Amino acid sequence: MTYGQILWGIFEGFRVTGLVTVLGLAYAIPFAFIFGILQHIATGWKGAPVTIFIEFWRSSPVIVLLFAFYYTLPLFGVTLSALSVAAMVLGMNIGGYGSQAVRAALQALDRGQTEAGLAIGLTRSQVLAYVELPQAIMAMVPTFMNQFIQLIKSTALVSLITLTDMTYRAKEISQIVFDPVAVYSALLLAYLIICYPVTVMGRHIEKRVTKGRRASDAI
Amino acid sequence: MAGDPAVQFVAVDKWYGSFQVLRGIDLSVGRGERIVICGPSGSGKSTLIRCINGLERHGAGRILVNGTEITGQSRTIHALRQDVGMVFQHFNLFPHLTVIGNCTLALTKSRKIGGKEARDIAMHYLARVRIPEQADKYPAQLSGGQQQRVAIARALCLNPKIMLFDEPTSALDPEMIREVLDVMVSLAQDGMTMLCVTHEMGFAKTVADRVVFMDQGLIVEQAPPEDFFANPREERSRHFLRQLLN
Amino acid sequence: MQFDTAYALETVPIILQAAGTTIGVAVASCFGAALLGFAWEILRRSGRIMSYVMRFVIDCIRSTPVLAQIYFIYFVLPYYGIRLPALLVGILCLSFYYSGYLAEVFRAGIDMIHHGQMEAAKALGLSRRHTIAFIIAPQMLRNIAAPLGNYFVSILKATPYLAVIAVPEMLGSALDIAAETFRYAEPLFVSAVIFLGLAFVISQLVAQMERRLMASHRR
Repeated sequence: MTYGQILWGIFEGFRVTGLVTVLGLAYAIPFAFIFGILQHIATGWKGAPVTIFIEFWRSSPVIVLLFAFYYTLPLFGVTLSALSVAAMVLGMNIGGYGSQAVRAALQALDRGQTEAGLAIGLTRSQVLAYVELPQAIMAMVPTFMNQFIQLIKSTALVSLITLTDMTYRAKEISQIVFDPVAVYSALLLAYLIICYPVTVMGRHIEKRVTKGRRASDAI
Repeated sequence: MAGDPAVQFVAVDKWYGSFQVLRGIDLSVGRGERIVICGPSGSGKSTLIRCINGLERHGAGRILVNGTEITGQSRTIHALRQDVGMVFQHFNLFPHLTVIGNCTLALTKSRKIGGKEARDIAMHYLARVRIPEQADKYPAQLSGGQQQRVAIARALCLNPKIMLFDEPTSALDPEMIREVLDVMVSLAQDGMTMLCVTHEMGFAKTVADRVVFMDQGLIVEQAPPEDFFANPREERSRHFLRQLLN
Repeated sequence: MQFDTAYALETVPIILQAAGTTIGVAVASCFGAALLGFAWEILRRSGRIMSYVMRFVIDCIRSTPVLAQIYFIYFVLPYYGIRLPALLVGILCLSFYYSGYLAEVFRAGIDMIHHGQMEAAKALGLSRRHTIAFIIAPQMLRNIAAPLGNYFVSILKATPYLAVIAVPEMLGSALDIAAETFRYAEPLFVSAVIFLGLAFVISQLVAQMERRLMASHRR
């Protein structure tokens, strides 16, 4: 096999890589926003269950979570496809990190903005929707870009639970082609081709975002 | 209820942890009255007016606004904020909205007023504070004095019965203080009930019906400005005025 | 099939033994990553072209999954006749992967030092070497301590990846036990709990250290 053929063979696994990423986002984004906002609003001990839930998904090693859910869910009568388990575990893990970005961005906002919103008679959720989030979103974007890349990279783990992603394909090909340098460098190259542009784009967006309007500029 | 005073504090206390910031505050403000609250920093003056629109919760005692008592209920506070406008020291304009957007936000979301009508109301008040031409600019493009006038217009758009001012000119460069004070004077001349925390004694002499002097959480003295500035009764008031005039 | 608590408790001592390896690998990798990351950062500051080259290198390291890098290093080294124990290979992999992130930490840690410090030192007549040793280095170390601590937790959570190359750490130990008894839930659960516990304790220690460092910093 030529190097090109090896690379092409690895990219055959892109369908699964992409699918897990996209499905994972469907868990990650809602989790990040809902729990990030909850953590921002709930003060004192009321925030404890929210924090525990977030930390469970965020502080556990994702590979342990993946194996744990893959092997133990059937014991509780829950039969999900490997793809569903992977998307959920990876998505919730990234969502846990995302929730911290959401919370930090909301807490970094000038408290005067919240007070002004309340003073003109908006409800707490209206203040969140029309005053706090529009300003905070800009601060969250750089971290979200990083987490998106992290999600793509973590999909490599699904090869360990029999999903035929790019890493799985690379291992398959290495059984046929006894050239680990070629096979595994092609695997690295494959991920590089996907993630490097996103990294660069993320840096551009970060630069543009920090030039954007913020409350601190007005004073 | 027509006869009710606009604002009433009855034996109000407030603590931050173990530190008592308001001690036994008794204050009554009639409709159309203009009150200037002054005192050294840490005296509790900002806290006092922030209790009126529920940004701070009082610990003990009673606060009544337009006859309605402030309880812990958020519905009460939400309703009273429709009648009480507030202007902040650091303006707190919403940077992601235009000037007119800042003014119409509460009208469209809270009062459910349609876009065109909201815009008309906003333009009326922007003209009132003399900056209608800035309607489509963003706050960052305006000077401090202009921003504060937008903040006043934003509060006026809800047609409040009481206006609260928390050191409105303290964050402004000297040349811009005049334009904001002029707007506040014209508001007073229109009969608006106003409580104003400020160091601008000229404004107090021109406009105030009563000066309330606070120190360390207590109301030390209340008097009409001509009495307060000419013949302060208390030693602490005299001390404060001496420091201010230096 | 139910969760067998007695069996779970039986697995605890075995997995705890592997915890020692987990922590040891994490500590060694943290050192390695710090040394390498520091070297990258010094290189990056050594010239204009070098800064672009290093930016590219670090982006590449961070754009590929650590699992793919582990496969590459693990299979390629023997191909060129280098036979290292799996433990060492694991430490090398994690050091390499995280050096990319720690380079960024060093960059921020050095940038955070106000340039006025160098000027003041010069005005006082301190030599360049003394300035670096007594003014720059202590402040840099204080600046990087907290992020370094946080990355140590991340490295700890990455050690289970090494299970795929048969390093005797906690996940590997749990999977070994499971393979013998065909009961996956209990050992995986135990290893997850121990990981969470470790991550929590170390995060608290890092937070405490950060507080103590910041307390002496502010006036």
